Amino acid sequence: MNVVDIESTLQTLRHKAFEELRSLQDVRALDDWRVQYLGKKSELTQISRQMGALSPEERPVVGEKVNEARGALQRAYEEMQAELAQRELNRRFAEETIDVTVPGRRHARGSMHPLTQIIQEIEEVFLGMGYEVVEGPEIETDEYNFEKLNLPKHHPARDMQDTFYLTETLLLRTQTSPMQVRTMERMRPHVPVKVIVPGKVYRRDEDDATHSHMFHQIEGLVVDEGVRMSDLKGTLEHFARAIFGANQSVRLRPSFFPFTEPSAELDIRCTNCGGSGCRMCKGTGWLEILGCGMVHPKVLDGAGYDSRRYSGFAFGMGPERIAMLKYGIEDIRLLYQNDLRLLRQFNRVL
Amino acid sequence: MKLSFQWISDYVDLHDLTPETLADKLTGAGLEVEAITPRNQGVSGVVVGEVVACEPHPNADRLRVCQVNVGDGPLRTIVCGAPNVAVGQKVPTALPGAKLPGGSIGVAKLRGIESYGMLCSAKEIGLETKLLPKEQTEGLYVLPADAPVGADIVEYLGLDDVVLEIGLTPNRSDCLSIRGFAYEIAALLDRPTTFPEDVSPETSGASPVQVRIDTPLCQRYEAQAFTGVRTGPSPLWMQMRLMAMGIRPISLPVDITNYVMLEWGQPLHAFDLDEAHEHTIVVRQGRSDETLVTLDGESRELTEDTIVIADPDRAIGIAGVMGGQNSEITAQTKAVVLESAAFDAISVRKTGQRLGLRSEAQQRFEKGIDPQAVTGAIVRATQLFRDLAGAEAWGGVVRATFHDAYAQPTGTVVEFSPERCNRLLGTQHSEETMRDVFRRLGFTVESTEGQVWRVHVPPRRPDISLEADLVEEVGRLAGYDRIPTTLPVGPVTVGARNASQTLRKRTRDVLMSCGMSEVVTYALTHPSDLDKLRVSPDSPYRQMIPLLHPMSEERVALRTHLLPSLAQVAAFNMAHGVDGGAIFEIGRVYWPTKLPLEEQPCERTQWAGLWFGETEPGIGERARPYDFYDAKGVVETWLQALGWQDEVRFAPVQLSWLHPGRSAEVVLNGQRIGSIGELHPETGAAFDLHRAVYAEFDLDVLVSFLQTSWKVHRMPKFPASRRDLAVLVTKDVPVQALLDTAREVAACDEESILEDCRIFDIYTGKGIADGYKSVAVAFRYRADDRTLTDDEVVRVEQRILDAWTKKYGAVLRTN
Repeated sequence: MNVVDIESTLQTLRHKAFEELRSLQDVRALDDWRVQYLGKKSELTQISRQMGALSPEERPVVGEKVNEARGALQRAYEEMQAELAQRELNRRFAEETIDVTVPGRRHARGSMHPLTQIIQEIEEVFLGMGYEVVEGPEIETDEYNFEKLNLPKHHPARDMQDTFYLTETLLLRTQTSPMQVRTMERMRPHVPVKVIVPGKVYRRDEDDATHSHMFHQIEGLVVDEGVRMSDLKGTLEHFARAIFGANQSVRLRPSFFPFTEPSAELDIRCTNCGGSGCRMCKGTGWLEILGCGMVHPKVLDGAGYDSRRYSGFAFGMGPERIAMLKYGIEDIRLLYQNDLRLLRQFNRVL
Repeated sequence: MKLSFQWISDYVDLHDLTPETLADKLTGAGLEVEAITPRNQGVSGVVVGEVVACEPHPNADRLRVCQVNVGDGPLRTIVCGAPNVAVGQKVPTALPGAKLPGGSIGVAKLRGIESYGMLCSAKEIGLETKLLPKEQTEGLYVLPADAPVGADIVEYLGLDDVVLEIGLTPNRSDCLSIRGFAYEIAALLDRPTTFPEDVSPETSGASPVQVRIDTPLCQRYEAQAFTGVRTGPSPLWMQMRLMAMGIRPISLPVDITNYVMLEWGQPLHAFDLDEAHEHTIVVRQGRSDETLVTLDGESRELTEDTIVIADPDRAIGIAGVMGGQNSEITAQTKAVVLESAAFDAISVRKTGQRLGLRSEAQQRFEKGIDPQAVTGAIVRATQLFRDLAGAEAWGGVVRATFHDAYAQPTGTVVEFSPERCNRLLGTQHSEETMRDVFRRLGFTVESTEGQVWRVHVPPRRPDISLEADLVEEVGRLAGYDRIPTTLPVGPVTVGARNASQTLRKRTRDVLMSCGMSEVVTYALTHPSDLDKLRVSPDSPYRQMIPLLHPMSEERVALRTHLLPSLAQVAAFNMAHGVDGGAIFEIGRVYWPTKLPLEEQPCERTQWAGLWFGETEPGIGERARPYDFYDAKGVVETWLQALGWQDEVRFAPVQLSWLHPGRSAEVVLNGQRIGSIGELHPETGAAFDLHRAVYAEFDLDVLVSFLQTSWKVHRMPKFPASRRDLAVLVTKDVPVQALLDTAREVAACDEESILEDCRIFDIYTGKGIADGYKSVAVAFRYRADDRTLTDDEVVRVEQRILDAWTKKYGAVLRTN
């Protein structure tokens, strides 16, 4: 055997090996191919063994050729191995492909009633400002619901709230304000008093789009030395921004409540038009959202806080109105109808 | 309260203000303008026309062909269909090109005759027909004979007016009159009021009237007698002003009293002087058994609380509320007496409420009138009676007071500290600003030297009696927009929810995460709901607190049970195409200690859940009816979240509204905290629900059991040994009993190695004998200090099995 023969053999071998490799379809065939062309019994190995018969000059030349052929086959083998693995993987992927648009397996999420959601949100705002949340009885005495709030019997201001009486002296509270007095009586002489009072209230109103015989209120009360009406305005501005957005602004308008003096209504910028005037705000650009004022001296004195030394502010808001504004609910009765098609929309956390 | 822009303009200069600007100022000052309505509803080109001829239409029975004089040019031919058209009438005449609220008028051919305009009814020119007598609303609106032909109707009727509707707060009784508003607006605009001087009319001779006040409920009573009072309609300008303010014109004497009431805020009453026997008026309290037929023909009972206008023999009127029929002015009346008085606000209010009456006069009395206006109003009315009704005053005004102190009404003096004012408002108003506010309001300030001022408030402002009231006036007139925004200074406080609020919040969170939807329902319900719950007649649930005066038939009492509310929600939803759902409410029930109620009852907070209809279907998961275990799973999850899963026990219970075989009470620390079960079929049917599961828990009881502090179990150092056992027991053996027994047995050892045991399968059917079930239990054993040997585990397991066999006849399943 001479160098030329060997070289020619190698050439043929490589050609044949590559031809075969190209047609391989699976890993097992590739393995057979490896045994055949790169294994201990392969032609290439045999050629290496025959090298002893060559002259010392020829040996390195042929050795180099053999090694080169082995290297080329080895690389081709590895490339093919990788390709087959990839092909295998692709096949598996194709087989395992699922329809990602099929809905996931999930637990039904419940929903919080919109009123609870609003009340909790408002609670959080005031908790953050250091207010205690207190609650009181829905069945109140005439004394706490009216008299101690500077609304003596037969005062015409009682017409502002038509009352469900249970007996001559017991009634369904028409406002959460009796808790102003109960809280002050419980806490005196301690200051500061800082509470909010969420709860249900009742009035003899015919149920319609804007009235409900049962509804909710959140009362707020702060009593301390040196509490100012400007503090009330600032506190409520903070509240309005937390609930209705950071660019909200508020205005106070004079009003009347028997248990506050001075008294005011708080307006916020119309949530619908932003203040330019629309049907919702009757063109004024403002929406009335709550009543407030400085605690009336008679109420303070009656509850045991000397009005010459202490002052306070109070406010009362309706979560129904706030929920209706915030979520665009147009009829208050929807909040009490409990239609799951509405309620289930409140399954979101924001 | 309605306010005529035209009328108020008489008393304060508003020439440079639009009604809208005025409305903004009033609203900004706390007198909220709720509506601005022009009286002219779109009328132009309508004039006073005189019908000079009126012939039947040749081609139509119901039409007439009129010749109408409209002042200039030739007579106009106008076809008219009104039945009351007649020659000589003055009527509003819309000429071609005229605009009416209902549309424009042109020349039109009516059955062959060209009509050059239209003769109008009251409605067609936009008058408030509900305030007009019926005869003036049917057919043409006939104008007085002296109406100037050709005059513009808008001008003639004073329709170029705008009415502001103001939502008065109850403290501002001073603004229940034009004059009161004039003071307020003058103060807001810093302009003077332009009231005419009160001129006491000439009188002749001594008054025939004698007045005696026998009750402290009447402070003042003034009376003026007249002769020759002409009745008939009041002048059109007066009628229009009354209508602008929402008052129905009736007749000249009544209209005058109403007009003066609107102007002064002082209700007046005119009656037949000769019907007051001996011409003597006695103001006294009613007597028991006394009745009076009032102007509306009703017989009214008088009580001691009622202020009665009487003569020496009998009642002739109910003060401030309604006059008596026996003293009504009639065509035969020869002399009239006019009453202007100050009656007790509370008494008038109570009387009005008792009789179910609520007149304009009464509303003014009950809010408190200006004692100074008593005289002013009677003087003004006397002028009008003389000028408009041709009346002659018979003597002067007779005045009586219950107490001499009432003879000269005085205002109040209120102490005021400018420094305290700024401190309460958080403002920095100058003393000058404050003085200026009081000047504009017509309050006088005595001694502005020193720290405390004495502010004299006139009697027309009874709402001001304290410094805080003056502070509001300063804040209001200087503008609430000048109050800055600050936050309270003072010690830091910690915001907090209490345990009960926290428990409710957590409960709500867990129930929501279990897929339940929260509902909020009315607390007022009907006792018949309890029949649906099948509770016995003597059940405490029947003790519902009733309302004294319910508004509707279905909401009459406070609920004692939450199920009816939830069941109604479920039925509503099923009827509206919702297939089913899980709902809950956290709310109160009201349990009286005694009925009739003597003290505030117990208001208990509960949560109740109702699972109704079918579950939501999913992929590979078909909708199925909610069952007991759906509900129990939620309840268990909730209990687990609160840390009570190992302490609670479910035990069969009998409750009338639940299925006797599918209901359980839930017991914690030996106390029932709630119940759960499928609705009794009759209860379900009564609420139109096919099948539903109900659970309720008392949160007030649970608050006392809340444990908010706990520690974790140490992580185990040695492996656990897991073993499963399946046994056959009869169907009636509760699986919980097997678990309890296993734990008891294991606990007998000095060191219990049973870490956990739970049911993982229950099987009946093929291979299991009738009446039996196979229960499979998974056990986990572990020791703290070593790996357990098989021997140790098997020994305990065998003892458990023995105990099961002994107690429940359990047989180990081998297949």
